[in-house]
Amino acid sequence: MALIELRDINKTYNNGQPLHVLKGINLDIERGEFVSIMGASGSGKSTLLNILGILDNYDTGTYHLAGKLIKDLSESQAAEYRNRMIGFIFQSFNLIGFKTAVENVELPLFYQGVPRRKRREMAMEYLEKLGLTQWATHFPNEMSGGQRQRVAIARALITKPEIILADEPTGALDSKTSVEVMELLKQLNKEEGITIIVVTHESGVANETNKIIHIKDGIIGQIEENAGHNAWDGTMMK
Amino acid sequence: MRIDRDTFREILDSLLRNRSRSLLTGFGVFWGVFMLMLLSGGGNGFRELLEKNFEGFAHNTCIVFPSETTKPYKGFQKGRYWSLNLSDADRLKNLVPELETVTPLVSLWGRSVSNGDRLFTASVKGVRPDYANIETPKLVYGRYINWMDIQEDKKVCVIGKKVYKTLFPEGGDPSGKKVVMDGVYYQVVGVDYNEGNMNVNGRADEALTIPMSTMSRTYNFGNEIQLLCFTAKEGVQMADLIPRIRAIIARNHYVHPDDEQAMYMINTQVLFGIIDNLFKGINFLVWLIGLGTLLAGAIGVSNIMMVSVKERTTEIGIRRAIGATPNQILWQIIAESIVLTLVAGMMGIVASVLVLAGLELGMTEDGILKATFQVSFGVALLAALLLSVLGSLAGLAPSLRAMAIKPVDAMRDE
Repeated sequence: MALIELRDINKTYNNGQPLHVLKGINLDIERGEFVSIMGASGSGKSTLLNILGILDNYDTGTYHLAGKLIKDLSESQAAEYRNRMIGFIFQSFNLIGFKTAVENVELPLFYQGVPRRKRREMAMEYLEKLGLTQWATHFPNEMSGGQRQRVAIARALITKPEIILADEPTGALDSKTSVEVMELLKQLNKEEGITIIVVTHESGVANETNKIIHIKDGIIGQIEENAGHNAWDGTMMK
Repeated sequence: MRIDRDTFREILDSLLRNRSRSLLTGFGVFWGVFMLMLLSGGGNGFRELLEKNFEGFAHNTCIVFPSETTKPYKGFQKGRYWSLNLSDADRLKNLVPELETVTPLVSLWGRSVSNGDRLFTASVKGVRPDYANIETPKLVYGRYINWMDIQEDKKVCVIGKKVYKTLFPEGGDPSGKKVVMDGVYYQVVGVDYNEGNMNVNGRADEALTIPMSTMSRTYNFGNEIQLLCFTAKEGVQMADLIPRIRAIIARNHYVHPDDEQAMYMINTQVLFGIIDNLFKGINFLVWLIGLGTLLAGAIGVSNIMMVSVKERTTEIGIRRAIGATPNQILWQIIAESIVLTLVAGMMGIVASVLVLAGLELGMTEDGILKATFQVSFGVALLAALLLSVLGSLAGLAPSLRAMAIKPVDAMRDE
């Protein structure tokens, strides 16, 4: 079974007039893949990301994440799954402004009930991995966009999630930093084998990934193998 | 919810992030508690101060004394003078079994009492031993007048505090020493330190108390007495007895039984009832104002927490996205509210305790406290408990709102 298995996912928003956003999504993503979901705004890619991230419910279909059926979860269960299995990277970083870098990174562990000392240790370890050791005690507003996004990445990684969901991770960054962040994600995927799903509307960003899933009007269009762009030694996808 | 250092860090972090706001919000609660404690402590203190005035005076006393008649009766014109006599005391005692004590009093004012070259102008009260049931003496030396003194017309006296201080400035037990009044030597047998402001016929601290029989004999009062004091047995309302008492005395002296002017009666039970009600009223006001202020403070906290939650939608959304359960969010907000309320409230308690302590310090004379203003530990504890309840109630609505925040909403809120 694939790590992520979506079967005929449908989602309709009922704000005023019903809006059928996802019209039967079928998708498999294997462990260790580095894929991007591309689509224009309104194509349903954000909705899909929310469903993948257990931030939103879907109406019909099934979603299996690492073998678990993700459907009709209670808020607490959803929180627990999000905490353990998913790492989020957002366009606007979404760091908590009044917490230092290291405090931001250790926050997911706080909700897991990891003891303080252990938490701090792990957070420092991940900051070091991302080259932010000397920024540990700085607040987000004292850092550059690229640094903030790296803090966010460290926060996403610290729970050792099954997947990393990145929502326009370079949307708020300049082109140079964008490249750096994408390189970092690539490296994490390659060296640590972490499954990464990037949602973007920039083809340049999508091009960095190994597989590009095009979504249009709520259905999956074309799935483009992109291995040629990036030499990669892992097993290929279907 | 786990309660540990981390939880507290989280709470303090968010409270301290908006220092001035937390401070101002907390001030509302602080002021509420401060006022409540101060008013209730102060109220109690003043009550005690006031009660000091009545100290040593039986609360269920009635005093009757004669005056010019205002109604003609049995052939007598109005405007006649009459007086009470000892038979009235016996009659009342026999005919009204609900009375506990019936004791007569004779007195004189402005008599010079001397000890050597020291002089004091005292009021003199001739009493029976059971007069102690009306005005309780606070004897620091010696004894009170007893029945033996009465039987033998002994020339003994109990002196009030001021009399003692003036006539015996060297201090010590004056018992056995003699003082002179109107050429008669009286042996001091006791010193009464009662300083209450409620007295019959002159202040106790300026009085010379001697056996009634001695006084009647010395000053030729005969059977005549000036007034009659009586107390009711426990559970008996003095007001219920008064018509009967009036009738009994009136019959004895050919006074119209309805002539209230002729037979003046002072019922302290009514007086004490009024004072009691007054303080009940004050107490009620204190709690009304105090609790009202406190409640206003708590509503302030609730309001601010609401604003804070609204402001922190994104932050809460992030927390939810990275794995905080709704319960964790709920508890965080409630805990913030409780901590804010409790810390501010504790400061209020401490501040009021300090102020009350200062007040007590100012009220202390010769190291003796005149009245306790301080709130009791129990009341403070109760206040703290009340604060936590108020805090959690104040946090309830905001936290429910925070709980309802969905991570997706937060992301969209940007």
